[in-house]
Amino acid sequence: MAVWARKRSITYRELDQRSTQLAHLLRQRGLKKGDRVGIFFPKCVESVVCMFGVLKAGGVYVPLDPQAPADRVGYIIENCGIRVLLTNKERRAVLTAGTIAALDYCVMTDDSGSNGSGNKVVPWSMLGEFPSDRAPEVVLTETDLAYILYTSGSTGRPKGVMLSHQNALTFVEWCADKFKVRSDDRLSNHAPLHFDLSVFDVYNAMEAGATVYLVTEDLALFPTTLANFIETQQITIWYSVPSALMLLLLHANLTVEKLPHLRTILFAGEVFPMKYLRQLADLLPQVELFNLYGPTETNVCTYYHVERERLAGMDKLPIGIACENTEVFAVNDQDQIVNQPGEQGELYVRGPAVTYGYWADPEKTKKMVVPNRFQPNFNENMYRTGDLVTLAEDGNYYFQGRRDSQIKSRGYRIELGDIESALLSHPGVREAAAIAIPDELVGNRIKAVVAAHEDHELKIVELQQFCGTIIPKYMIPEQIEFLDALPKTSTGKIDRVSLAKAAPANDLAKV
Amino acid sequence: MATETASVKDQIREFILRDLASAKGVSSFSDSESLMESGVIDSLGIFRLVAFLEETFRVRIGDEEITHDNLKSVDSIEAMVTSKLKK
Repeated sequence: MAVWARKRSITYRELDQRSTQLAHLLRQRGLKKGDRVGIFFPKCVESVVCMFGVLKAGGVYVPLDPQAPADRVGYIIENCGIRVLLTNKERRAVLTAGTIAALDYCVMTDDSGSNGSGNKVVPWSMLGEFPSDRAPEVVLTETDLAYILYTSGSTGRPKGVMLSHQNALTFVEWCADKFKVRSDDRLSNHAPLHFDLSVFDVYNAMEAGATVYLVTEDLALFPTTLANFIETQQITIWYSVPSALMLLLLHANLTVEKLPHLRTILFAGEVFPMKYLRQLADLLPQVELFNLYGPTETNVCTYYHVERERLAGMDKLPIGIACENTEVFAVNDQDQIVNQPGEQGELYVRGPAVTYGYWADPEKTKKMVVPNRFQPNFNENMYRTGDLVTLAEDGNYYFQGRRDSQIKSRGYRIELGDIESALLSHPGVREAAAIAIPDELVGNRIKAVVAAHEDHELKIVELQQFCGTIIPKYMIPEQIEFLDALPKTSTGKIDRVSLAKAAPANDLAKV
Repeated sequence: MATETASVKDQIREFILRDLASAKGVSSFSDSESLMESGVIDSLGIFRLVAFLEETFRVRIGDEEITHDNLKSVDSIEAMVTSKLKK
């Protein structure tokens, strides 16, 4: 069995045949090497068929958040020139007429639509008309793009991180070696498919001939159900954001007896609070724990294998050391590579895991994917993460904070500027600042402080609903405070520091 | 007892709308639609919902009862609460 989701499964043979058929359908209807294909429906076994189908056709898939507002999905479709969308009836219905008009056709994974060549809504059953035994011939190298993942952008529009086959393979091959994934393993896939954590779950399962179990919202949000799922499906390798593990820890009554098959837990995306990590380590003594770190632009670039005997005396978890075939180093304010323990610098990454940059955004790319000035012999790029780190005596790196206003909430990467520009696009808003309020369970909660135009009376609910048409739900401020004017620094900028101080953690509804 | 049933449902719907949905930018939903699939209720929202139900209706909801079947929609939440109230 290759993939399990929503009580359905497909074998490797079926996955291979179906994805080959999809590749032929896409090629026959004109897909060329490097063309982008959107994947827009809640995850199910067809999600994985679609990923492989697009790759076999030589295309580049773009997983779209099934919960994202139509405006954002429409922007991404336009931004990277998606002409073919793999979707279902219910998701297609939320798209604007303008977005649908920009598409050549949709393939409907729920088998809606009607047969007939040249139609714009192609039912899934049409795949049956295409050969299943041999994939179309395409000439690709591993430097070709495989997929594009969109993440929050600071100027109010998401940016598309371009990942090549080589970028993905560098990570997948390292994982295969490090975590010794075997064909009898059962991997969970907790992260959404537009989130880079899913790359491990899907591709390392496939690489090993193991099974990946897609965790859908009917499981993910319910700790007891989720724990039962891990137990009955005999999951051996779990990977998620720490907040998902904390939910299990606090509400699912986990015991080692119930989870005898679980052997490895990987977590990434946010800082795991030590208190809960110690509890998890005590509760599941047989399980190996790994903290993985890395922005989407490098997939994962460092890791820390949790040493249980050190946990009691640790006040902060390291992000660890570089993965195989990847080099990381910190650069201080004097533009020198940090080599003294305790010194802080910005983390840089080089090697085949580093992205080419952002789709159709050479300016942003130039800022973040920069020539390696520490090595004069040949041209290569490195990625500056924007993360401030320190190097410790033991050789591990520790995350200390951000250079900019990017935050994490439930592992989602969020640019506060993205939220602010959504708020500012409301005609009644004169000034707006989004503030992150640290929270033990989810990393950060989001609050906004807004000053309205004089003749405008604004309501919190109205503003939240307005934001909901522009940004994903996890970015909408939970709390909005109105002020006559926002406090300013001496240079006239909005004083975020004093706003953050004025917003204590306990003024949001607690669980 | 039709009026009592209606008021349980109204209170549940109003709480979800006021305390959970609006913070997700959602202004309306039907009584039968899945609130998880549409993202109206997230992982923290579930525990706020359970706390609200326990407090408002003076019922006890165990961790093992916090399931998709029980909480997926206004209709299913109401069914769980009314069955507890009858006991």
